Amino acid sequence: MTREETLNELKKVIAPYTVNKEMLAGINDQTDLIRDLKINSANLVDIIIDAEAKYDIEIDYDSADKMINVGSCLDVITEKINQK
Amino acid sequence: MISTGNDIVAFKAINVTRTKQQNFYSKIITDSEKTLYDEQFSDRLPFEQFIWLAWSVKESVFKYLQRINPDLIFSPSKIKLEELIAPSAEGISHFEGRDFNSQTVYQGIIDYSPYTFYSQTIISEDFIFSVVNHTDNFEKIIWGIEKIDSTDADDQSKAVRAFALAMLNTLFPDSELEIDKNRHSCPIILKNGIEIPVPISLAHHDHWVGYSFHL
Repeated sequence: MTREETLNELKKVIAPYTVNKEMLAGINDQTDLIRDLKINSANLVDIIIDAEAKYDIEIDYDSADKMINVGSCLDVITEKINQK
Repeated sequence: MISTGNDIVAFKAINVTRTKQQNFYSKIITDSEKTLYDEQFSDRLPFEQFIWLAWSVKESVFKYLQRINPDLIFSPSKIKLEELIAPSAEGISHFEGRDFNSQTVYQGIIDYSPYTFYSQTIISEDFIFSVVNHTDNFEKIIWGIEKIDSTDADDQSKAVRAFALAMLNTLFPDSELEIDKNRHSCPIILKNGIEIPVPISLAHHDHWVGYSFHL
């Protein structure tokens, strides 16, 4: 899966947790999940769980902690996919 | 440096079924916290409420420290709820004020090495609200909880600022106070455009907003 394909799938994972659809359409590596997409912090675990299901991966504590912006989410997901 | 941290979780906006699933709650609590629940709270507190209590306490600790260390990363598993004391009475005595009524709150001790924090948590039918402090004395903490009409993020942000400012204006009359953000996105209180040394924390979730500040 290319980074762009992973990003497109990640948009679907994030979509239920943000009302900022315009921003979501144009997200990039620097887009912050809380500050830019206005995702409530209480939904961050939902996104991690949904990403685990979407990509059939397991995201450990330390990796989950890094998932604060789109770039770090893609890095973690790519790393876990490659470890399968 | 003195700081403050608070968090609020609206029950209406959480997924109870998902919260109780191991793959979900294990991202929030550690094995020792699960044991704390099983041994001391399983007969009086629904598991999902314990999970979100733990979350709100951990998020509050993160907010407290992020003001001091803006590069801090939120690591729920490293912020450990070591002790929790249940309230001796039912109900909520008030929704805004100074300090807490120890009879109606859950009191916690949190280890985040090398720091120790103390928490006060109110659980109602609708929300969980936590505030943490660096001592177990909350006499200098002013806090408030309010229900609002909108769940829009911008409306929540405006509402919680107006709510906190209303209290601040009673404490600092004749001052031109504002709530802004510093360059690290931490809320700050400005008096005549200059930051004053009163740390403030803001929280919102669904129809509920909350604040705390340290005098």
